[in-house]
Amino acid sequence: MSGQNGQNGQNMAYSEAPAGVAARLSGGRWTRAARRAPRSPVLERVAIAVAALMVVIAVVGPLLAPHDPYAVDLGSALRAPSAEHWFGTDANGRDILSRVLYGARVTLLATVVVIIAATLIGTLVGTVAALGGRVVDEVLMRICDIGLSLPAIILALGLAAALGQGLDSAVIALAATWWPGYARLVRTLVREVRDAEYVDAARMIGVTRARLVFRHILPNALDTLYVQTTLDVAAVMLVISGLSFVGVGAQVPSAEWGAMIAAAANNLTNGWWAVVFPGLAIMITAIAFNLVGDWLRVRNDPTIREGKAR
Amino acid sequence: MKHAKAALDTPLLAIRDLRVSFPAPDGPVEVVHGVDLDVARREKVALVGESGSGKSVTARSVLRLDADARLSGRIELDGTDLLTLPPRRMRQVRGARVGLVFQDPLAALNPVMTIGWQIIQPLVIRGVSKRVARRRGVDLLSRLGVRDAERRFDDYPHEFSGGMRQRVVIAIAVIAEPELLIADEPTTALDVRVQAQVLALLRELADERGMSVLLITHDLGIVAGFADRVVVMRHGEAVETGPVDDIYARPRHPYTRALLAAVPRIGDDPARPLAVVDASGAPADGARRREDGR
Amino acid sequence: MTRSPHDPNGSAAPLLVVEKLVKSFGGRRVVDEVSFDLAPGEVLGLVGESGSGKSTTARCVARLVRPDSGRVLLAGRDVPGAGRRELRDLRRDMQMVFQDPYSSLNPRMTVEALVGEPLLVHGLERDRRRRRDRVVELLETVGMSAAHLDRHPRSFSGGQRQRIAIARAIAVGPRLLICDEPVSSLDVSVQAQVLNLFRDLRERLGLSILFIAHDLAVVHYLCDRVAVMEHGALVEIGTRSEIFGSPRHPYTRALLDAVPIPDPVAERARARGNRAAP
Repeated sequence: MSGQNGQNGQNMAYSEAPAGVAARLSGGRWTRAARRAPRSPVLERVAIAVAALMVVIAVVGPLLAPHDPYAVDLGSALRAPSAEHWFGTDANGRDILSRVLYGARVTLLATVVVIIAATLIGTLVGTVAALGGRVVDEVLMRICDIGLSLPAIILALGLAAALGQGLDSAVIALAATWWPGYARLVRTLVREVRDAEYVDAARMIGVTRARLVFRHILPNALDTLYVQTTLDVAAVMLVISGLSFVGVGAQVPSAEWGAMIAAAANNLTNGWWAVVFPGLAIMITAIAFNLVGDWLRVRNDPTIREGKAR
Repeated sequence: MKHAKAALDTPLLAIRDLRVSFPAPDGPVEVVHGVDLDVARREKVALVGESGSGKSVTARSVLRLDADARLSGRIELDGTDLLTLPPRRMRQVRGARVGLVFQDPLAALNPVMTIGWQIIQPLVIRGVSKRVARRRGVDLLSRLGVRDAERRFDDYPHEFSGGMRQRVVIAIAVIAEPELLIADEPTTALDVRVQAQVLALLRELADERGMSVLLITHDLGIVAGFADRVVVMRHGEAVETGPVDDIYARPRHPYTRALLAAVPRIGDDPARPLAVVDASGAPADGARRREDGR
Repeated sequence: MTRSPHDPNGSAAPLLVVEKLVKSFGGRRVVDEVSFDLAPGEVLGLVGESGSGKSTTARCVARLVRPDSGRVLLAGRDVPGAGRRELRDLRRDMQMVFQDPYSSLNPRMTVEALVGEPLLVHGLERDRRRRRDRVVELLETVGMSAAHLDRHPRSFSGGQRQRIAIARAIAVGPRLLICDEPVSSLDVSVQAQVLNLFRDLRERLGLSILFIAHDLAVVHYLCDRVAVMEHGALVEIGTRSEIFGSPRHPYTRALLDAVPIPDPVAERARARGNRAAP
């Protein structure tokens, strides 16, 4: 009995070990094991390189495309990968490689727009809820609950019906269902910092409320937000592609990766390349960003960043 | 006859050249550098030091509580080397031969089990019947000053105050009648009056049961009224050891002297500034000292 | 001439007046009609166990918390009722040092920014370079140096962080320093340094200090007068020699009895005395 006591029991003992050691020894058995597990620096670097590569492609891809991604050439329909068409052609004779390169921009741009919108709205709502008093908090959190209970696809379908099909509707729908998650996260982070002693110290100095929020509370509350946004890139991207695949998002002839898969899905046996290459693009990008997000989260581990007030 | 005498003379706990290191990304870090420490039977030893001194790690090593720790040296309990014991036998030692009182009673108690259940565990896992164990537990709790112990036996930790919780922790630690009790900063989280009560309780228990106590603390005040012998630790090393009267009246190591000089005492003349320990551990004189970036 | 404990100097008006202060949380009176004065240049200790209300009292004086009723007057000015503008002025005259050096400094700010912030906020030094110089002066006053300017709190020990916090607190030149258990989480040797620093500053800057603590030996060392609180009420107040030499209230006596004495001979004598006269 006396041997197996909780995490905190251990923390007490280690609180007096030399600084770095104390931090490293905190946490439960699994956390400590995970921290000790050898992290493959090779995998981390590959992931960062791939993610960076995808971003680069999104920016300059169109310049590298060998063919016009929208040029229809029924004569060359469904050609297997060859010297002229590295990734083959689709049912309309369009070059898959070029479409994948263009599609990077479409997909990633849409993803980034969703995340930025969700983060901004979510941060605003979460901060106001955390600092605005109990009534404001309750009201905003109920609104969040409504947002969280709407599945993205249903909302996207509804918006598509109202505003017409297309990537725009999908982006709006997705942003509308994604911000409540951020609002809750930011609310929790701000609440933690709000009660920190250094915030009281700042109030004691006599800082204005604006300075208190923007110089003391928010920078400390939000400094780990980028981990979540990075992880979300993969998630949002998959949903956008999924929506396009289902027909609610980007429409033909858009080079959005999900839409490409949708268009080619029927012809899988005749032209696997038209499905596989865009699919690989989605998969590799999602995995890369997920790994980068994980790496950021580990780097952010409070045992290393001992300075962050909890 | 000779054997009996020898048994009485050998220390109950003998730590020799204990080194403890922990794994770290850049290579293992040694936090205890070759500590020797004895606790005789019926003796109360205080292990004193500031943060980073390694006192807690040393004490916890006796029970091998930290799976990550790499230990070397010898830790002998009544002749048995604890460091080479297989895990199953080590578990038998914990609770029955060596008990541990933690610093933070709130963290040391399982919030979802009654305190009674937690108190009888050390007995139940050793085959004592629940009825007998409960009887002993209630008696012990009552002895420790918990009124209405029979009824409170079925309460949960959150229903107790800090001092009461610490009594529960003590009960858990001593119910299986260990020969050695290790108390790791047992009163740091307590108010001064409760602290005095808990220390008095520990003293009485130790005397009644002939139990040795190894008290880990940073508080030179409570050591004076509790311990028979004192071991002073600093930066992972034991810098001085001796009977309590000697340590306080005639400290030899400069660090011990500095530490004693830095403690404010109610009897002192308040006009005299407190001595200050400088980087080398020797006393320096008070007031302003420029700190070089550390 | 007998001096009333409320007026040790015999003539100066008190810097701080607290009168019948009341604060309740969840129906319970955490501060129960507490009254005391603090003279200019005086160090008043506020002691009690946990739940005594001493911290809440300090926070009411500092206006981090609004009391339910009662008066707090700093140099004659009303503290709880002050409007935004008056409050800012008041904050130039009273500052606070907190208990936990690990959480009272914004981890993302450099030492220069932390200690300079009060100067910036109160418009005392708008020029960046002069502000930096002033910060260096303040750091040197507390025993640190310009070498520490660009570092973050995480690279300092507990004692150093408290010094930074103290430098920050005296930056605007307050007359009253409220200290909430400022040495409780420090090692013995570091505690001694910081206590000496408080004494030094009190002499050089003429500070008045409201010192909240639970450690009676520390209070004895630093404080001219001591107020004892129990369950929200102030049960006894007196000079150092009165409280420690001839305590009147049973609670004060109980507290003093429980304080450990770092002297084994004295402890044994006390134990014998206690056994002889229960």
